[in-house]
Amino acid sequence: MAFVINRRTFLAAAALAPATRLAVAADNPVRIGYSMCLTGLFAQAAPSQVNAYELWKDQVNAAGGLEIGGQRRPVEFVSYDDQSNPANAVRIYEKLITEDNVDLLAAPWSTPIHLAIAPVLAKHKFPMVGNTAASVKLREVKPGYIWFPTAVIPDKVGEELAAFMAKENVKTAAVFANVLPLAQEIKAYLLPALEKNGIKLVANEDFPPDIKDMTTLISGANQSSPDAFIVLSYPSDTFLFATQAKQLNVKAPFVLSLIGATISAYQQAFGAGVDNMVTVGHWSPNQSKWPRARPFYDAYLAKYKEAPDALDSVLSYMSMEILQQAVATAGLDKEKIREAIASQTFDTINGPVKFDGVQNTMTPTSFLQIQDGNLELVWPDSIKTKDFRPKKGW
Amino acid sequence: MSGKVLSISAYVVLACLLALVPLVRSDYWLGVAFIVAMWVALIQSWSLLSATTGYISLGHAVFYGIGAYVLVVSLDWMPVPFALLLSGAAAGLLALVVGLPVLRVKGPYFVILTFGFAELVKNLVMLIETRLGQFSRLIFDTPSLEELYYAMLALAVIATAMAAWTAHSRFGRGLAAIRENEVAAEAIGVPVTRLKLIAFVASAIIPGMVGGLLVLRTSYFAADQAFDATVSFTIVTTAIVGGLGSMSGPLFGTLFLVILSELLWARFPQAYMMILGALLIVFILFVPQGLSGLLRRGLRRA
Repeated sequence: MAFVINRRTFLAAAALAPATRLAVAADNPVRIGYSMCLTGLFAQAAPSQVNAYELWKDQVNAAGGLEIGGQRRPVEFVSYDDQSNPANAVRIYEKLITEDNVDLLAAPWSTPIHLAIAPVLAKHKFPMVGNTAASVKLREVKPGYIWFPTAVIPDKVGEELAAFMAKENVKTAAVFANVLPLAQEIKAYLLPALEKNGIKLVANEDFPPDIKDMTTLISGANQSSPDAFIVLSYPSDTFLFATQAKQLNVKAPFVLSLIGATISAYQQAFGAGVDNMVTVGHWSPNQSKWPRARPFYDAYLAKYKEAPDALDSVLSYMSMEILQQAVATAGLDKEKIREAIASQTFDTINGPVKFDGVQNTMTPTSFLQIQDGNLELVWPDSIKTKDFRPKKGW
Repeated sequence: MSGKVLSISAYVVLACLLALVPLVRSDYWLGVAFIVAMWVALIQSWSLLSATTGYISLGHAVFYGIGAYVLVVSLDWMPVPFALLLSGAAAGLLALVVGLPVLRVKGPYFVILTFGFAELVKNLVMLIETRLGQFSRLIFDTPSLEELYYAMLALAVIATAMAAWTAHSRFGRGLAAIRENEVAAEAIGVPVTRLKLIAFVASAIIPGMVGGLLVLRTSYFAADQAFDATVSFTIVTTAIVGGLGSMSGPLFGTLFLVILSELLWARFPQAYMMILGALLIVFILFVPQGLSGLLRRGLRRA
């Protein structure tokens, strides 16, 4: 059993660990269960979540364990591969709750899997803080045992993006969207908002998830030289767009890619070529109002030799911080945890978080820009770390 | 003859045992039993076409996906049981419409065509959903896991009964003749085209309803998930491991792989896909008759 192996490895590690401040019941670890997309459709993206969980666990255990109503207990994870399949994830969460009897739950990867397990959590009255899910559909989930800290809610993203573009004097825009749900949702709210802000659409095309060539799309839009290229893309098309926009010399000063530009591999692959790219995200290590942001960035970089994904690693880590602060006061009683999460304000690497229903109402919908290798918040004014810079060449 | 009675009673006993699973009162074990019933239903249905005629379909996810889609759309207008029946009917209708052109090609061309067709329908549904402004759909107030499980078990039993009936019917012998030599079968008067089409339609209906049940279980529909091609692959691999061309093959294959993956899941979450892959190679190379063939040989020797 994975559990036995984990406990054994854990005990070995605990024996080597230095003496800790609070009383540690090392023989009685807190077990946190989650399912991960180790294989399948989302396998490439999932490490940004699991890495954040592991970092959090290491930090908590190094500090003597997870504080539960005054006592510290070491943390161990119980996790299974869901093959990126929501039906498997449903089974995994049922197993974690009813067979493995874990003490706490952490979130799985992706919107579909969050939505699929929401009824399981409600049925077993087991609270879980979500992370890597983004959809207007989240609001339809019955509030109670699941919460979504993300600020990437498509209707807000659409409106804020149009306002941001208008402020940066964008008059004409080309919009390309992947046909997958998040991109399409954002587009549905972006187009009317563009119109409202007087921004003219010169191109509006959808593309399939496994697109291999965007040259026709890009060169078609290039002919009317728009001020903005808004590419509502997923990681592989984000990389493809950067490659081909460079080849076709896209001259627009405002260029946005949706998902993937916050992954450190993106900057590794394109270097200065993607300087001044805009993307969606609500966190930067450079925001000094959030004192926990920079230490998280440094610790992640030290452990994994690459920067955390400003979107998913951050959300994953935040969800654990929220859980941690909730159990510190509430203990392990599920109803008390639920009340704590639903009512408290949490101090996270992304600033304060408070939930109203299933949604985080504190974190504003924001945009990031890659500036000289850093991810800077450039919108809205209330949290920005740098001013927007127009893109000049690739 | 007594062997046949014996095997039928074994199936009845097994079905009764499976019907008792909800008494265990564990969502986890009920979930495992649900998955077993699901794969048995899918693979028995698939075998009806592919194992009996030799037309290997690598696109059965299309029926499963269309069933899921029809269910999620029709739930707005009708109660769950009717929506489920409609899922099955829609999948059957789809098979009827595409069956004639698709069943004209043979061998690897048929395999590729079915796979491509499934991808085509997936992208079409994605496009339709996008145009409708529906990017994914949530279902509320789904039936309990017990109810879903009994429905799935019923589908597994029906699919197995269909396979059993086919094996001993004139229809089944016609299909076997197609597998052995289609031209010769046609020459001696087997209505080849009609039989193939019937088998194709029959093998699509239950997967459509299975897709509907599964979407009720996850309460979430997105086209790229519902038409997941790995469903098609898993059907074929499980059927091979279990053994093609016998009623018990899908059962053994499913039980073996589901139990194995449950065990590996817990013990070696990192390695279980690799182990499954290696097992598949071993089966194709050394146990081409699958588990059911192995068992038959074992019984004969005993």
